[in-house]
Amino acid sequence: MSLQGKRILIAKPGLDGHDVGAKIITLALRDHGADVIYTGIRKSPDYIARTAVDEDVDAVGLSVLSGSHQEMLVATLDQMKAMDAADIKVFIGGTIPPDDHAALVAAGAAGIFTSEMNLEDTIARLEVALA
Amino acid sequence: MTRQELLDRRALARQLSLAGRASVADVLSEADSNFKTEKPAVRIGVTGPPGAGKSTLIARLAASRLQHGERVGVLAIDPTSPLSQGSILGDRIRMDEIADDPNLYIRSMPSRHAHDGMADNITGMLAVLESHNFDNIFLETVGIGQADYSVRTLVDTVILVVVPESGDTVQAMKAGVMEMADVYVVNKADRPGAKRTVTDIQSVLALKENNPGGWRPRVLQTSSEDGDVLLLDQAITDHLNWRRDNVDLLAHRRDQARYNVEMLLNRRVGELLADAEPAQLDRPISDIYADLVGRL
Ligand code: B12
Ligand SMILES: Nc1nc2c(ncn2[C@@H]2O[C@H](COP(=O)(O)OP(=O)(O)OP(=O)(O)O)[C@@H](O)[C@H]2O)c(=O)[nH]1
Ligand SMILES: [Mg+2]
Repeated sequence: MSLQGKRILIAKPGLDGHDVGAKIITLALRDHGADVIYTGIRKSPDYIARTAVDEDVDAVGLSVLSGSHQEMLVATLDQMKAMDAADIKVFIGGTIPPDDHAALVAAGAAGIFTSEMNLEDTIARLEVALA
Repeated sequence: MTRQELLDRRALARQLSLAGRASVADVLSEADSNFKTEKPAVRIGVTGPPGAGKSTLIARLAASRLQHGERVGVLAIDPTSPLSQGSILGDRIRMDEIADDPNLYIRSMPSRHAHDGMADNITGMLAVLESHNFDNIFLETVGIGQADYSVRTLVDTVILVVVPESGDTVQAMKAGVMEMADVYVVNKADRPGAKRTVTDIQSVLALKENNPGGWRPRVLQTSSEDGDVLLLDQAITDHLNWRRDNVDLLAHRRDQARYNVEMLLNRRVGELLADAEPAQLDRPISDIYADLVGRL
């Protein structure tokens, strides 16, 4: 399987400056054939949603290590709904304690990825989700 | 005025995806497509080596047009990996300062099969953009080498962005993209050597014969460190004005037709070669060639 032809936005919402994981994911997606738009750090949910719409992406991946994963996911999904783009899948990764996963899924996360997972599994799951 | 209507960003974005992904067969079956343009946009091509500052400069040129209430589209191309076919599309992050303007639309595209600084189906994508009533369209090429100048055929004004110390007068005299620009910009003028690079380019341009009434390319310096891009804006306006009275539009359209057909053929040949049985490629070149022409 491959991500060829898929357009994916990798974004870092809020004030979180930890960007190593986001960059690793960005490069790994490219190496599996995806066209990846990387926003850089400190983007607002509004900016992320608008970029997702303008770039007509198949998926958005948020990377959050600051602890504010729930707020950032909900705010991003709200903005996307407001822009008539609720159909674009939103994944989230980073430092996300297991206890918080259920709430993220309930809020609409299409998948959750943490540093305990190996990278090949992460990519394989994304390939399945976007096939 | 249609332009006052709000841009339908989602529709535009999807139309661009479709146009960008079209196969050779798709393009041929939808040729002379349904995207109608009421008023052609001014098309400005921005080209130059990787990292010269093309995206940053487009953001500044776009900002001054947005301030005048104009609608601005940016089509920015980054390279496709020959290994994975994936890409990192990183031009738009240089345009964050203007990103929330409702009259701005930025779209990033991978080059895919194109090897000339452009992307597959660039003509179709430009037509889609134009059908949404943009006043200006900026086309940013992939970071280029010396011999990629297809952008010339697709736009009204070509800006070549270089950086200080990009060689001496010998580089400036070489054939290829150095002959193609309407405006030369030595960007990163905050770095040493900018003045020298400007002079080198100017001195070579001065040696060229100039037809009376012909366009004399401008050479300017810019820096993201200092305020405005007024001189560059003026040079672009002057070129567009000159062009209106002097360019043979029929010849320009014919160049575009030639380019479109050539690109489709290139892609088709690429497809056929990729599908060829490896053993077929062990034959003499003239046989492979004849076989391929036969299958086109
Ligand atoms: C390195 C690091 C830093 C570096 C960051 C350098 C940089 N440019 O990124 C520095 C020293 C600057 C730093 C600073 C801070 N840090 Co720090 N930092 C870390 C540390 C040790 C490792 C993070 C890392 O890079 N991991 C490696 C990458 C590869 O892993 P990853 O990001 O998790 O990504 C993987 C997966 O999660 C997943 N993934 C991630 N994103 C996405 C997105 C998608 C779409 C997908 C599919 C997958 C995916 O894939 C990646 C590859 O497997 C962590 C602790 C830890 N062990 O996690 C703390 C940690 C993240 N930092 C923490 C804190 C508190 C801070 C500071 C606030 C400290 C301070 N008081 O100053 C500052 C804030 C900086 C800022 N502006 O945001 C806390 C966060 C607490 C929380 N979440 O509640 C942590 C968890 C440490 C801790 N246990 O307290 N930090
Ligand atoms: N010092 C200095 N840096 C600049 C200037 N303009 C752009 N840069 C920096 O140069 C780097 C590349 O700028 P971009 O605008 O991305 O260049 P580009 O030509 O679009 O790059 P590619 O699309 O990758 O070919 C960025 O770090 C910019 O901040 C300038 O005038 N002076
Ligand atoms: Mg660029």
